[in-house]
Amino acid sequence: MISTDDLHDMLEEHFPGDDIVVQDMTGTSDHFDVHVVSDRFSGLSLIEQHKLIHAACKEHMGGAIHALKIKTQTP
Amino acid sequence: MTPEDVKALVENNNIVVFAKGTLFQPMCGFSQNAFHWINQLQKPFTVVNIFDDESIRPALVAYSGWPTTPQVFIGGELLGGSDIVEELFQSGELQKKVELAFAE
Repeated sequence: MISTDDLHDMLEEHFPGDDIVVQDMTGTSDHFDVHVVSDRFSGLSLIEQHKLIHAACKEHMGGAIHALKIKTQTP
Repeated sequence: MTPEDVKALVENNNIVVFAKGTLFQPMCGFSQNAFHWINQLQKPFTVVNIFDDESIRPALVAYSGWPTTPQVFIGGELLGGSDIVEELFQSGELQKKVELAFAE
């Protein structure tokens, strides 16, 4: 399990200053909805954008994070 | 299954969905959502249930470099998972990619 705050902090390390919203989808601290708005996504395909999110959460993917719903946008 | 088998599968079929469960009995909400959008395309597609054999998931991840399931391939290209397929369908990009894949 991981808290929404911890997940938010992990994303913030990779996306400093960007808009990040993390929601616990099930209340069980393992299914999350992540929404990130960042300049870093510009010019990237959706799969490349999602890979940046995966990379930011890497240590918990498949462990504490069972499922991650991802929405990425540029400002 | 080996990564070479995954490669052959996605190159020989226009649409391939690697999922948890089957089309009629998805075992995960994300796989179910991917099926929902792929179904809208009204084109034949191939489903691989990663639970059919324990070698499938590691072969898939080794081939695609993408850690999660479902994984949707169109024209041999990994597009992504459920969120991406939904977004690409709603923007119309998915339909274009599928038309191209079936035209070739």
